[in-house]
Amino acid sequence: MDSISRPRFYLSPRLRSNLFLLLILVPVALIILVPYLWMLTTSLKVRGTTGLPPYLFPAQFEFSNYQIAWAAAPFLRYYLNTTVVAVAVIAARILLSGMAAYAFAFLKFPGRNLLFLLFLGSMMIPFQATVIPAYLIVRDLHWFNTYQGLIVPRMVDAFSIFLLRQAFISLPIDYLDAARLDGCSHWGVFWRVVIPLCRSSVVTMGLFSFLFVWNDYLWPLLVCNRRPCARSSLDCRFFPAGTRWSGLI
Amino acid sequence: MRFRHSDIPTAIMFLLPAVVILGVFSFYPIGAAIRLSLFKWDNLAPEQTFVGWDNYLTLIQSSRFWNSMLVTMEYTVGVTLASLVAGLGLAVLLNNRLLAAKGLWRTLYFLPVVTPSVAAAMVWILIFNPGFGFVNILLRSLGFQGLNWLADPTWALPTIMTLGIWRRLGFNLMIYLAALQAIPHDYYESAQVDGANSWQRFRSITIPLLQPTTVMLIILDIIDSFLVFDQVMVITRGGPGSATEVIGMYLYTMAFTNFRMGMGAAISIVMFLAIALFTLLQWRFVGLGSSEESQ
Repeated sequence: MDSISRPRFYLSPRLRSNLFLLLILVPVALIILVPYLWMLTTSLKVRGTTGLPPYLFPAQFEFSNYQIAWAAAPFLRYYLNTTVVAVAVIAARILLSGMAAYAFAFLKFPGRNLLFLLFLGSMMIPFQATVIPAYLIVRDLHWFNTYQGLIVPRMVDAFSIFLLRQAFISLPIDYLDAARLDGCSHWGVFWRVVIPLCRSSVVTMGLFSFLFVWNDYLWPLLVCNRRPCARSSLDCRFFPAGTRWSGLI
Repeated sequence: MRFRHSDIPTAIMFLLPAVVILGVFSFYPIGAAIRLSLFKWDNLAPEQTFVGWDNYLTLIQSSRFWNSMLVTMEYTVGVTLASLVAGLGLAVLLNNRLLAAKGLWRTLYFLPVVTPSVAAAMVWILIFNPGFGFVNILLRSLGFQGLNWLADPTWALPTIMTLGIWRRLGFNLMIYLAALQAIPHDYYESAQVDGANSWQRFRSITIPLLQPTTVMLIILDIIDSFLVFDQVMVITRGGPGSATEVIGMYLYTMAFTNFRMGMGAAISIVMFLAIALFTLLQWRFVGLGSSEESQ
């Protein structure tokens, strides 16, 4: 009976909700993607014709632009350096920022709110204002052109602490109490209960840290001056991805 | 497990590394900037003269400063509101359990966040070029007349704001998505059993449970927008006139183009105070969603 009265174009609930979602998701995705398509076509255009006629797709593809850009700088070395720095920074942030976030979320101590506000405050100062004193400190430590010059100043940041703290406080406090009753130390609660339970937020934080290191431009430029930064010599119009490296040693 | 004296040594141990590193590389430089803001230090000359509050007084009497504050606020409110609402909407859609190819969508929407801001800004210049830019080609093919987006005092700021929203959307989306995934599904199921429709479930489960996340995102977005610099620097350098001169651009011009370091430091302190004031107000009236408040 039931199957007879079904309309001819019966869509399963799954398919229906997918179609509905796609109706919204696809146009938004297109809008988001336009700049990339433009970047890609521009990077393949013949030198000098970038702006001439108003067209979207070049008639002729110039892959040699990529060869020129690749040859212009030791990219492999840049990628390797950036990866080393990123991995170290992320590991340190999970551990050190996580510990601080744990203290802010679960431990009670005098001046907790004040200290937290101070930490938040460190996010609010414009980078241009603090960069010169920070640069002088790294100089006095003789950390120019070293990995630690790139890693240590970034090992803790207020953003990660903030993100992890907000994730930690949404955990049911009973889990922590139970672990404490079973004789777990704060360190044990942090490492064995809180971090695993907040895995998704830790991953998010790690991702943002990676992006931060990957896109950072001014700091590596300042503290790693042994090889002159060749970035400006790269014609970004022809190789947009050329701006995607940092951290040269 | 709250407020026992035995917490204090643990707290010190857990916070020590963070305090040391932030202290050396964030707080000390802030102190140095505050000190510098009380000095007149032009053209990187060897001598710095103490001038007290003079830099600040010059600042509040300057109409260029107030203009840049206004421009920054417009940018901040527009970008934060748009990217927050759109980010939440998209996050809810992506969190749908029936949606196929979730990873693909997430990657797509997150791409702008991964893109270096300088590269994105270059592309923006091309896209909004009056002659061969994509936007004007599109408008013309639809029968409209294109605009000279970035040279028009009315449209330059909104154009830069679209870049800000484009870059910020994926960030808000990802954080919202992580928070949405932490909401136990039982809540929705029991609400459904009680007859709540999807809008009611969204209103009375999703929104309240996301509140700590929303508070955090508002703070982060406002800080991020308020400090905007890269894209303005690359796209318009504050022009036309001073239509897009955000406070970060003003700071840069003062400190590194006009080489008035003391003034630059004073501007950075004012920026800092503005954001700190906002965060304090929000803390006072909304709270930061700490564990005590939510229980």
